[in-house]
Amino acid sequence: MIMAVRIGIDIGGTFTDLVLVDANTGVVAVEKLLTTPDAPEHAVLAGIDKLLRSASLAPSDVTNLMHGTTLVANSLIERKGARTALLTTEGFADVLEIGREGRYDLNDLGLELPRPLIPRRFRLGVQERMLATGEPYRPLAPGSLDCTIAECRRLSVESVAICFVNSYANGAHEAAAASRVAAALPDVFLSVSAEVSPEIREYERASTTAANAYVGPVVARYLARLSSGLRERRISAPLFVMLSSGGLASPAVAGMFPIRMLESGPAAGAILAAYLGGLEGVADMLSFDMGGTTAKACIIERGRPRTTSQMEVARVWRFKKGSGLPVNVPVVDLIEIGAGGGSIARLGRLGAIEVGPESAGAEPGPACYARGGALPTVTDADVVLGYIDADYFLGGKMTLDVGRAREALRLIADSLHLRIEAAAWWIHRVVAESMASAARVHAAERAVDLRTLPLVAFGGAGPVHAVSVARLLGSPSVIVPNSAGVGSAIGFLVAPIGFEVSRSRPSRIDAIEIAEVRRAVGEMERQAREIVVSGGVRREDVQIDYRVTARYAGQGFEIEVDLPEPVQWTRATIEERFRARYGSLHGVTVEGVPVEVATWRVVARADVHPLETHTAPTARSDALKGERTLFRQDSERMADVPVYDRYRLAPDWSSQGPLVIEERESTLVVPLVAHVRVMPGGSIMVTGL
Amino acid sequence: MDLRLDLMWNRLLAATNEQAATLMRAAFSPIVREAGDLSACVFLPTGEMLAQARTGTPGHINSMANAIHHFIEAFPPETLAPGDVLVTNDPHLTSGQLHDHTVVTPVFHGEKLVAFVGSLCHLTDVGGRGLGIEASSQFEEGLCIPISKLVERGVLNDLLVRVIRANVRTPRENLGDLLAQTAGNAAAGSAIVEMLESLGVPDLTELGRHIIETSEKATRAAIRKIPDGRYHGSVVSDGIEEPILLQCAVEVCDGHVHVDWTGSSGPSPHGINVVLNYTHAYTSYAISCLVGADVPNNTGSLRPITVYAVPGSIVNARWPASVAARHIVGHFLPMAIINALAEPMGERGVAEGAANIWLTQYRGTTVDGQSFSFAMSAAGGMGARGDKDGLSATAFPSGVMGIPAEIAESSAPLLVLERSLIPDSGGAGRFRGGLGQRLRIATLAPGGATVSVLLDRLAHAASGLAGGRPGRSGRAWIEPSARPVTKASFTLRPGEVLVLELPGGGGFGAPSERSIEALRGDLREGYVTGEAMERDYITTPARLIIDSASGE
Repeated sequence: MIMAVRIGIDIGGTFTDLVLVDANTGVVAVEKLLTTPDAPEHAVLAGIDKLLRSASLAPSDVTNLMHGTTLVANSLIERKGARTALLTTEGFADVLEIGREGRYDLNDLGLELPRPLIPRRFRLGVQERMLATGEPYRPLAPGSLDCTIAECRRLSVESVAICFVNSYANGAHEAAAASRVAAALPDVFLSVSAEVSPEIREYERASTTAANAYVGPVVARYLARLSSGLRERRISAPLFVMLSSGGLASPAVAGMFPIRMLESGPAAGAILAAYLGGLEGVADMLSFDMGGTTAKACIIERGRPRTTSQMEVARVWRFKKGSGLPVNVPVVDLIEIGAGGGSIARLGRLGAIEVGPESAGAEPGPACYARGGALPTVTDADVVLGYIDADYFLGGKMTLDVGRAREALRLIADSLHLRIEAAAWWIHRVVAESMASAARVHAAERAVDLRTLPLVAFGGAGPVHAVSVARLLGSPSVIVPNSAGVGSAIGFLVAPIGFEVSRSRPSRIDAIEIAEVRRAVGEMERQAREIVVSGGVRREDVQIDYRVTARYAGQGFEIEVDLPEPVQWTRATIEERFRARYGSLHGVTVEGVPVEVATWRVVARADVHPLETHTAPTARSDALKGERTLFRQDSERMADVPVYDRYRLAPDWSSQGPLVIEERESTLVVPLVAHVRVMPGGSIMVTGL
Repeated sequence: MDLRLDLMWNRLLAATNEQAATLMRAAFSPIVREAGDLSACVFLPTGEMLAQARTGTPGHINSMANAIHHFIEAFPPETLAPGDVLVTNDPHLTSGQLHDHTVVTPVFHGEKLVAFVGSLCHLTDVGGRGLGIEASSQFEEGLCIPISKLVERGVLNDLLVRVIRANVRTPRENLGDLLAQTAGNAAAGSAIVEMLESLGVPDLTELGRHIIETSEKATRAAIRKIPDGRYHGSVVSDGIEEPILLQCAVEVCDGHVHVDWTGSSGPSPHGINVVLNYTHAYTSYAISCLVGADVPNNTGSLRPITVYAVPGSIVNARWPASVAARHIVGHFLPMAIINALAEPMGERGVAEGAANIWLTQYRGTTVDGQSFSFAMSAAGGMGARGDKDGLSATAFPSGVMGIPAEIAESSAPLLVLERSLIPDSGGAGRFRGGLGQRLRIATLAPGGATVSVLLDRLAHAASGLAGGRPGRSGRAWIEPSARPVTKASFTLRPGEVLVLELPGGGGFGAPSERSIEALRGDLREGYVTGEAMERDYITTPARLIIDSASGE
């Protein structure tokens, strides 16, 4: 692929970030506009116009557009999706409401469960039945289907989800029902579970299929408006959409599986961390992305973010795990580990300081924004500690009010009989502790030891908090890339074009027919490859990864195992791979217990050309901007430390902390003795924590 | 300084959560992963519990806190060395059932014993008759391991391992789980030592005092929301051959609650007797939920709640009574306490719900001649709360989740033909009880399946509260012969269908006070039929002016 002029576009909740990179000239242009929630394409198109003007390029010069959006997540959270019906096997219309029958917080008698996306009267049973083996048990009854179609028409639905029991094993009834619905109701969006998420467990699959149907028409309309806006501007470059798995896809594919766009922005952040780590020769790391409302982390292994097929969206009850809608699609395995800069600090019922999940957001924002916010936030604590320079916020575009930050913190300081700086330090520490704890539990669930992984920090607040978090995790180093504050938009530009196809076929390993599995996987591979090729990739550039999830018979959690080319598969090699992986994850293997495989996955991907834009800054001797007073974490007192300008650091620069390095969108704070240096790829590394 | 202690407290909690997460991933027993039927705790060397992971079952809350003292008695500190690991599954010392294995590891900082780390895990099999009610004494229920060293100075106790191998059906899985518990304890132990080293603290004494004092104070403050007094409550469950009465007197006095179960039924000849630890756990759980204490479990938060039950009664089983299915009775305990406190709690109460999880076990031979055994669980409706409807088809007080139909069908020759909510099964009220659900299950095994069922609330429906109506009672029968099913084993033949209609929860407040909006929603979505609306809410669909064709 020739990708001369690439534009990355990240539509976030508050801001739409755009980055333009011209590989021929090395020009990089950045735009940040307020998001236009009702018609997100407005900010995108306006941003593109501005970028082209500032880079002096014509619309026809653009070779690729890469795009991510929170549209899908917002539609689900705000319940602003299409009028949708769900067709199920007769007897299972309530599957969406019965769910898993558990309570996610045993001690909270007032808890609420997520309201199904599709109300009960829109959930319609159809006479048909497949067995778990994939054999039909009861044929699809056309009369019963026609009744439900008539009901869909009467309810004037815009979208139809179809999820029949055991369709992961055989989707024939779903496919037949879908074509009959399509013929009768040509204008409705169709979402078929065997295509969207052919994995075992009827509730999770129905929930995923319903969510896909619910957002489908919204996304289709948006993509159509965006495309027509691009055409009006005579931009003919192909548009790619970022999927939650960290791969790019064509709008046609994204439009069929809109639910796969759910976490596109955060996924791009993890992709960027993996890419920049790679530039510095680091393959395994923990990415740490801290913005205004949340902080997210992702474990990156062998140069790629870990992925999972299970996530949850639109949590309804105090952000608690289990209170959202399950969505099973390939997604970068991100965990929300805590608060962001705008999160509010307060005293809990046991008298301890607690931070978040309530956030002051952008409006009214932290107290120091002086826009009416009076409650103390993490950003207010950072300003008081000197970690954020009140006069150089967003490169000096905005001035912060230190007095108001102190005033807000007084609430907490007074009740604990602390000085204001001490209260600020405790808030900073509590935030770091809770993020480190959440990251450690996440890692324990995945049997990963974080003490071996560098912390790659980005996002507006990431580099401010990274050193504190790394010390608690025992990370060997902190790595802060260039332009850390707009990480996700750059991430789009370095993501591979990719698509994953999965299929559940649970079986004991000693009972699988290798030839039959090879045939099924070959079919999945063809499907994945075609989708990637349709994105403009040369067939010979497509690489295929094979994986299977497996477990010991009797266990409840599968682990994912990388597999070689299918020609090398035998029952013994697959079992051997599983035992080796299990041993490296859990430190033990269990002899004599049979192994079960569950879900086969095929990932097709084509890596794009690397980003050749890191024009090394010319060696300048005046990188030292001055000094400022901040709270040293080793001596636990305020002290003057040197402040450096990131844009003027020489390629071989190194120094000893404590120090501060400022760039426009963020600040790296090293509040104690440590070694700091510029790395070959341009990132900054802090060691000796 | 308190804030530093709070940080250390959070780290202890994180260490136990980490330990529980690791165990859950590695565990073999389905109930562990589906329900989080495990625990992880940290104790002082003197036995006070400081932290417990938040996991899926209330039944372990006190079990661990009380069990540790038995361990210390059996193995005083001078008999322990680094590398030792202790184990027991004695129901009376821990959580009331042989399947639950508790593994305790002493933690040394240098030469000094600074803590115990413990975990409890429900193992797959213990020999004997399994989890049912069939055993008439504990001797028939399986292997009981007295408190022993599983590992001594790093060396596995070979004799104990051979005893386990010789007595259980799944020796590899059991040993796999016990070793995973050992590894998890070790990880939590090193996290504690690392914390002490990095903060330069010699031991957990000061932190322990802080945790216990703070938690006790907060719990007492929450309990003070209940006016002092003596309150009485009871609940009746179907039982096996005769109904079981659970009766309690709840005495509240200045931030302390004493619950006395005197008056409850005597021992059962079946395996449903409850050990005192388990009674204590569900009692503490009910009180702390009701007062909304939201304090982490530890010796301090448990101290203000004391329990008495007559030795030998069904809620204080005397050895060697059989106990394997003790949850059948245990899950009703919170209902009696909630009933007792309904009056003083007012709108903070909860109406009775289905209580039990319905368990059905299917055994037989597949078409290929393989034998199979599979357990299904399902939940009825929860009672209505004082400010919102009850949750439909959701377990309470247990946290056990249901088994997906597709998991059942891919694991055993079963066919789940229906899983749907039952309209009108939630008790009427200002807030409606949660709906029960209907399951229809058939078998594809050519010789049929032997089914054992553990059902309740077929005769005794969940009562409403504050004027709310009772939920619909459960029903179970076999089609097409319509022969009823109770607590027993029977054969489900090919072509027959087992129908389970799980009970609904009770309502809260007078039905006449239910809002028009809520009634419209009930009718539009079919949670309440027009007929029931007329009968229970004295209104008609016409009067609600429904435009059923309109949108939301």
